[in-house]
Amino acid sequence: MSDASLAAARPGEQIVVSEAPPVSVPPPGVAQPHSLGLETCEPQGTETRPNAVAPMRVVGQPVAHHDFIEKVKGSILYAADWKLPGMLYGRVVRATVSSARIVSIHTDKARALRGVAAVLTGEDVPSNQLLEKPSGGPGELRVAMPVLARDRVRFAGEPIALVAAETQQIADDAAELVQVDYEEMPGVFDPEAALLPGAPRVHDDGNVLVSWHIQRGDVQAALAAADVVVEGEYRTQHVEHAALETESGVGWIENDVVTLRVSTQIVEHATEIAEILKLPANKVRLIAAYMGGSFGSKEGMTVETYLALLVWKTRRPVRMIWSRQESILASTKGHPFVMRYRTGATNDGRIVAQDIDLIGDAGAYPNKSARVLFYGAALSCGPYLTPNLSVRSRAVFTNNVPTSAFRGFGARQVTLGYESQMDRLAETLGMDKAEVRRRNFLHKGDVIPTGETLDTAVAVGETLERALARLEEPSAPSGPSKRVGRGFACNMHPYGRTVWFKDSASAWLSIQADGTLLIRCGVTDVGGGQAASLCQIASEILGVPLERISVYIGDTALTPPAGGTFATRQLFMSGNAVMQAALKLRELVAPVAAEALGCPVAGVVFENGRVKAAGRSPSAGASAKGISLGELVSLCEARSVDPTTLYLFHPDADRRGSDAEPGQLISFPDYTYGTHAAEVEVDLETGEVEVLKYASCHDAGRAINPLRVEGQMQGGAMQGLGYALMEEIILDEGKIASSLLANYLVPTSDDMPDVMVDIVESGEGKGPMNARGLGEAVIGNVAPTIANAVADAIGFRPTQLPITPERVLALLEGADGTSASGSVSPVPSASSQ
Amino acid sequence: MSARQVTLQVNGVAHEISVTPDALLLDVLRDQLGMNDVRYGCGEGVCGTCTVLLDGEAVSGCLVYAVQVEFREITTLAGLLGEDESLHPLQEAFLRLGGTQCGFCTPGVILTAYSLAQRMPRPTREEIRYELGGSLCRCTGYAKIIDAVESYLDDRVLASEETRS
Amino acid sequence: MMAMFEPAVDTTTPMAAAPGALENAHARVVLDDWERRWYGEPRFNYELVRSYEEAVFALREHGEGAKALAGGQSLVPLMNLRLLRPSALIDLNGIGASAPQLDGGRLWLSAMTRYSQVLVSELARFQTPLLTTAIAYVGNVRVRNRGTIGGALAHGQATSELAAVALALGGEILAYGPTGTRVIDAEEFFVGHLKTDLRPEEVVTGLRLEAAQPRQGSSFKELARRSGAEAIAGVAANITLSPERDVIGGVRLGLIGVDEHPVAGDRTVLSALVGRIPTPAEIDEVASQVTARTAPVTDSQSTASYRRRLVRVLIRRALTEALERAEERASAE
Repeated sequence: MSDASLAAARPGEQIVVSEAPPVSVPPPGVAQPHSLGLETCEPQGTETRPNAVAPMRVVGQPVAHHDFIEKVKGSILYAADWKLPGMLYGRVVRATVSSARIVSIHTDKARALRGVAAVLTGEDVPSNQLLEKPSGGPGELRVAMPVLARDRVRFAGEPIALVAAETQQIADDAAELVQVDYEEMPGVFDPEAALLPGAPRVHDDGNVLVSWHIQRGDVQAALAAADVVVEGEYRTQHVEHAALETESGVGWIENDVVTLRVSTQIVEHATEIAEILKLPANKVRLIAAYMGGSFGSKEGMTVETYLALLVWKTRRPVRMIWSRQESILASTKGHPFVMRYRTGATNDGRIVAQDIDLIGDAGAYPNKSARVLFYGAALSCGPYLTPNLSVRSRAVFTNNVPTSAFRGFGARQVTLGYESQMDRLAETLGMDKAEVRRRNFLHKGDVIPTGETLDTAVAVGETLERALARLEEPSAPSGPSKRVGRGFACNMHPYGRTVWFKDSASAWLSIQADGTLLIRCGVTDVGGGQAASLCQIASEILGVPLERISVYIGDTALTPPAGGTFATRQLFMSGNAVMQAALKLRELVAPVAAEALGCPVAGVVFENGRVKAAGRSPSAGASAKGISLGELVSLCEARSVDPTTLYLFHPDADRRGSDAEPGQLISFPDYTYGTHAAEVEVDLETGEVEVLKYASCHDAGRAINPLRVEGQMQGGAMQGLGYALMEEIILDEGKIASSLLANYLVPTSDDMPDVMVDIVESGEGKGPMNARGLGEAVIGNVAPTIANAVADAIGFRPTQLPITPERVLALLEGADGTSASGSVSPVPSASSQ
Repeated sequence: MSARQVTLQVNGVAHEISVTPDALLLDVLRDQLGMNDVRYGCGEGVCGTCTVLLDGEAVSGCLVYAVQVEFREITTLAGLLGEDESLHPLQEAFLRLGGTQCGFCTPGVILTAYSLAQRMPRPTREEIRYELGGSLCRCTGYAKIIDAVESYLDDRVLASEETRS
Repeated sequence: MMAMFEPAVDTTTPMAAAPGALENAHARVVLDDWERRWYGEPRFNYELVRSYEEAVFALREHGEGAKALAGGQSLVPLMNLRLLRPSALIDLNGIGASAPQLDGGRLWLSAMTRYSQVLVSELARFQTPLLTTAIAYVGNVRVRNRGTIGGALAHGQATSELAAVALALGGEILAYGPTGTRVIDAEEFFVGHLKTDLRPEEVVTGLRLEAAQPRQGSSFKELARRSGAEAIAGVAANITLSPERDVIGGVRLGLIGVDEHPVAGDRTVLSALVGRIPTPAEIDEVASQVTARTAPVTDSQSTASYRRRLVRVLIRRALTEALERAEERASAE
């Protein structure tokens, strides 16, 4: 098939390929050579996908289908688009102080308001606590978070009471009538302050949630022996996900089961909800609606527990939608990190040691902080060979808004650390910045500091070349007070969950009597085509046209569990589960087809909703046309073969076990690598930074849907640009000053140039058909890319995010060298890239 | 004073409903008329997910009360669909070129682009960017959204040239 | 910038218990039998008016809690956030907007003119190019489609681009109230944080701006942290050369983001430019002195000290560009 005919393909149009022999797909989780065993895989590199192979029938095609059709029509139903007779409207009443004892809560006036159906406080919660599963981290404190605070408030915005009423207005009015008496207590609002002796304790057991240590070799000796040691301190900010859909859901009781339909990344929370209500697990059902974006904000529970309580108490349906301002104020945020790096290297630019300290502000409660700081530690060296490493990574409680999952999950923050250090190293040694990196890049077979061996291709070098090439000729400054600079940054990002959590995912496929296919899988869809990709994979293997496949996701009652959508795990996990389920299903029904067609089992071809015998010429008549899948199903029934499969996928866990050396940790199944490059113009008088050019290149392993991969890369870059330049949650004594969308600034179409994207396909991913997950990888490079570009433009290095005009001016004006903690250091005029 | 009868003309259909004056157009369209393609995003007029066309012009549904727009022509995304629910060419372009991911911003974005396309035969990419500057998207990075709008406009220019020749 | 606000009320606690806020309200809830839906007592009384006379009458009638509703782009967000709770809304949208008109060397805009109408007005583009330029920075397309000249002026936001232009172009705000019509100089109009010289029952009926003259040049400069966001600071500059000689005859600045309200650049300082063609250094010195006479604030978007640095740069750039343009027009004669 030519590229032209592929390009002309319209959605829903079945792309018919000439007959291909049955695909033999290797076991999952093990790296495979590029060809995948498909002899007909012709190389078909394009400008933006240099190593692409010919797309299969469906996989590798930029098809648009399933939920995307509903989305352009506007007919897709999100969590708030659900209305039930007698439905009530909920509202959370939140603390207005950051650190206090609760003296009393008065709800009588709220209850008395006509139209109020329920007002609940902590004493109405059967089991008023949420406890995170242990992360496995050293010294991890076991700290529970109340569902509704009873005695103590630890952050401004902490939930204290719930209201349900006949209209949203009445609920909001009632919420205002709930009166809380506080006795304010000293709070601590900076994680470094929280580490000092005598600091106010956020929790009785102390302020350090967990302290990870990863060690390899002898860092102190290596640093002492190093030719150069580069030091740096870097700071990132609290960030808000700002998904366009705020946290929302509807709950009701059906057949005595508390049923919730919520915008959530994880339906497995149903068991926690049941525990909170002290109900048996079979009495709670959680359904995940297609999300209007999430980025980690819907990974922990948001509205679920409140809906469940109100529904269970009132026995009526309840809807809850968080206001945008409430969401900014009180939903979990991305962690600010303080990062200190000491990088030792030889005179020819080889890293010999990294001594790293990370501190993350966990806010008032644990959430996923322990895990985020682990990711930070594990990825703190980036895609570089590091013979000696010591990293200490601590999650520290404060009375700020709690932090948790945010796209990138700790591995995002540390890129500013290691990529700034690489540029600094180059500058110190007078070396080319790309060359310094090339000398240190990891390769397949290398052992990384966490103790694991990289067993798939490391394509970071190729992504570097491609991203840099995209910048082309340097732009001239647009005026006398402007400077143009260029920067780039490489990153490494895991996909798949940390290995010791023994991840798994299952999928259930059935071919129906008319040959249509049902996929049931507990996956949730954040908007990145998680569900649609499963259809593409199944379509490829079973030959069912996309429009004859329906996919049902995220329902604890009806779909086999697949784990949540986080850690960039879904394509890897559910994709593999669906792929294996489809293969198994094919194996199951192929003998029945073979008998009917009179050909060997190996000669059965599934395509276009039919099964045929390979190699039969059309002149063979009817038998060449084969039979429809529906006919095959009848035949199966006659032979008591059930055309359904349920498959449980466990990734290949051939890694070092949990009895590794002290300080050596097993971590992730695999990684993806990428590079971004940018050209910026800085206005020396106002400090404004304008991005002139931006390029992103990542290794996708194999792009199941190139259109969606590009979309992830462009979207991730844009979100990263917000994080780098304009987004900041401003906290003052724990209270958020920027709680409006009008002043928490996310990028618009008018702020940035188009992001140029290139997809490298190394063919060695551990996802289905060698794909790698990259949903989070694609945001990590942005901040250091911009910081490096600005440093190149003005000769001073930004070390704090976001890089606002004000901070740029401060860098320029701090030129006399006086600055705090190494945050400003003049950069020798190094060559631009 | 309590509820009053108003007639809202949405996508060419007149709806007679009962509203209080403090009911926002956004809430009336969603909760009373079941139109889920108009969505709540911020209540501040910043994000654009509540965009509807009022006599062809993009406005924030969260900033206008239903009583204010009686008898005006209100268009939501559903109003662009063809007789048999077929996609408008602009919607097709979004589908084909990946202009939608989570889909939440999509109705507001498409309506705003549509409104621009009604006013100008072929705005430049910069003009499209500027017009869409009030429609926030957190997923796509905007590039494919603008690609889709341009593709639609180019097809339209071609089609009109063909009819002329 | 965008028709947003700096609320005077603590915005960090939208759901705070507010003692006494609603104890007396919403005592009656009407159950609509036919549709079995609950209606709260409407938040406010609503009246659509078709003339300024009707508007003033209604404002008086509904008393202190009544607010005039024009474009709603500033007012309704505050109401959605429950920060402002008027007891009555007087909807001015029944009053038509006349097209911009030129009268006696001034461009007249009726209060209900939408920003978008100004943008497409050829007359405005020709007669008040500064206005057309500045409005392109206002909010987003939806704000511009609904937001009105009168509404923006009455709201009096410290970062209103329209206000900056009004100050730079000798603007006169026309108001109508129980005591009749009043003409208020722009320089007297903006008096405090979201506070104008309008009396409680007055409404803005129009704005008059000096139309462009030959030998005149203008410039608008603004910096916002993001497209469509509120300006950190901004400058509208208008320079007229003397009739006979190519020296500055008059100069005006409208400044936003430099105080709690829009302000005019200090006249005394600016008068130093009259009668000369200043050097870049002299322009910078004037910019510095004008800035020194402002009082920028620190808020969630920026510190006062950055605003100070920024404004000086923007004033310098705006004056320089306005002067260049004036000189170009003069030489084209």
